[in-house]
Formats: sequence, C-alpha cells, structure tokens
Amino acid sequence: MKSSKLFWTITVLSFVLFGVFNLFRQGEAETPRRSFSALVAIDSTKCIAPADSMRANHMQVLYKWRNSSVRTGHRVHVAANGSRFEKSLNTCLGCHDNKLFCFNCHMYANVKPKCWNCHLSPKETP
Amino acid sequence: MMNQQRREFIKKTAFGVLAGLGAASGLVPAFSLEKTVLPVWDENPVAGKIRWGMLIDTRKCKKDCQLCVSACHHEHNVPHFTTRKDEIKWIWKNSYKNVFPTATDQFVTSEVLNRSFLVLCNHCADAPCTRACPTEATFKRWDGIVAMDYHRCIGCRFCMAACPYGSRSFNWQDPRTAIHDPSLAYPTREQGVVEKCNFCSDRLIKGLQPACLEACPEQVLTFGDLNDPQSDIRMLLETNVTMQRKPELGTKPSVFYII
Repeated sequence: MKSSKLFWTITVLSFVLFGVFNLFRQGEAETPRRSFSALVAIDSTKCIAPADSMRANHMQVLYKWRNSSVRTGHRVHVAANGSRFEKSLNTCLGCHDNKLFCFNCHMYANVKPKCWNCHLSPKETP
Repeated sequence: MMNQQRREFIKKTAFGVLAGLGAASGLVPAFSLEKTVLPVWDENPVAGKIRWGMLIDTRKCKKDCQLCVSACHHEHNVPHFTTRKDEIKWIWKNSYKNVFPTATDQFVTSEVLNRSFLVLCNHCADAPCTRACPTEATFKRWDGIVAMDYHRCIGCRFCMAACPYGSRSFNWQDPRTAIHDPSLAYPTREQGVVEKCNFCSDRLIKGLQPACLEACPEQVLTFGDLNDPQSDIRMLLETNVTMQRKPELGTKPSVFYII
C-alpha cells in the first residue's frame, strides 16, 4: 500500500518534470535567438539539384530566390523531383553545415560575394 | 507476496524515472521532426488581396515605456548610434505636436499634449518613397507593406527626402559596430543603405504577430488585414474615431491612431 503510493508520487512527479521541461523548451523556441538548424525546411536532407549544376549555377539560383521571395512573395522552391524547399540561405546552410563550405571555394576562386555583409555568416553562428 | 510487490514497485518506478529523465535530457524528443517554417500564407500571393495595417490606441500607451521599441530594435538588429545624424530608428516615440503637426483641431487637451505617440513607417497605400526610389529598392509589396530590398539600395536617400514622416534612416556608418545584443532572427544592414520598419514581414511568414505588438503589456497595438471587414483592426476602426498622420498629403497611411 505504502509502496504503491510512492510509485504514484514518483510517476506524477516525473510527469510534472516533463511538463515543466517542455514549457521551458517552448519558451526557448520563441526567443529570437534561434539556431540555423531550427529554421531550415524539413526536406533539407537532399540538395535542390545535382552537385555539378549547383556548383556552376548556385549564384543564379540564389539571385532568383532572393528576387522572387523578397519581391513577389514566392517563397517555396519546387525542385525537379518535386520536393519543396523554403527559398532561404538557411535552407542551404542547414544541410551544408560545414562552417567553411562557402569560404573554401570562394577563396580559391577569388570571388567576394557580399552576402555576409548583412546575412549572418556561418562563421559567426554558434 | 511482499517481495513480489516490491519487485513490481521497483520495476515501475524505474520506468517512470527513466521516462522522466529521458524527456528531460531530450532523449525522447517532444517532436521528432523540426517544424517547418514554410510560409504560413499563400505560396503564390495575389497582389492587393491583403493590406496589413496597424492601429495604435494612444490612450493606453504609457509615456515612459520603451518595451516595444527595444523589442523591435533587438529583433531586427537595429544599430544603436547616439548622435542625431547617425541614429537609426524603426519605431520610436514622439510628442503630439511632432506627430500630428498639421492636425486641424485647436486647443488640444494638455493630457493629449503630454502623451507620447508611437511612430513607425506608415506603410502608405500611396507611398511617395516608392516613387522616389530610382532602383525600386523600396516598393509596395503584394500585402500592402512598403518593403526595402536592401540588395538593391544604392544609398541615394531620395526616399528619405520623399517620406513626409521621417520614417527612414540612413546607415552612415557600419551598423554592425553598434549592435550590442545581436539577434539571429534577422540579418543586419550594411553601410550605405537606407532602412526602416518592415511591419515585421519576417515574423509574418512564420505566423507571428509584429514584435512591437507582442512586447506591449498594455495591448496598445492592433495588427491586421485592413481589407478584411471582419478583422480586429477593422472592427476597432468601425467603433472608434481615428486619426492618421498628415492625411492631407494623400499618402493613405496604414497606421491609425485612437487619440
């Protein structure tokens, strides 16, 4: 009898703990300090196009994304295979999460894109 | 018999504690997949269907409260320069005489004269800044927001001259040097571009209300679709006498004031 009381106390306590913790998590998610990974679309396990064509055309893709999302509000990119992505730098960076992914190549090619003048560079994120 | 009960009890408690610990440490996640932030609204928005607007009930606004201002400026990485020339403002407070300099009413009560009035970009339906901009960096969006495309801004400041409300600020210096508490939610600007309130278009796509509204403890602000006759803001416009800033200029502001 005594032991079952204790059992219920502990079970209820652990539920309460769980609930409080979840509340905490929700509070965390609402603050503006969010990680990039929290901002990417679900479907970021695959790239929007094959690596070769991305290597050659990523700048045009980003240029189109930026114009269509900022100016006309078309924020969803539908890839050739039908998967959907949010048109955002975070979509790219969520998957290419090596902090030097952009920089290595740009340094080699001596190109200096101005993205990180305003957007947070992967090097600056925690 | 006693031993059997004891055994059951230990098994059950162990499970309960494990589950609790697992949840607390994140081993058993609250949701297994991260929530997508795909736009909450139409993928292919129709221009002119929505017109976002804001109503400011100045009767409730506390004179010395700056919560909305600091929330907005933190959220959008607005730099804090202290000199008048360099200062950047998205939303700020000002006196009746400065906010409504052309209001026709005489002998305004001293209580009203003493109030502070929130001012921000009016997101005018007929915005003069968008006509002045030579590169279309500032433009009227499909949802009535007067947006800035910082990628295109060349820093000519024609829009600042055209805006009758002084809602625009120019980045004379590198803004990143004056952001003390950076937010990851929004990019910064760079030196040589004009910036202003974006009606929290960055939050609207996540289905959130503007940051100033969320920060206000007095429910001074109401945000909503001016084209929807059933929206809260339209209901309040229906039941209250409201003012706009410099209505005689014909800019048709989307920000309304209850005096």
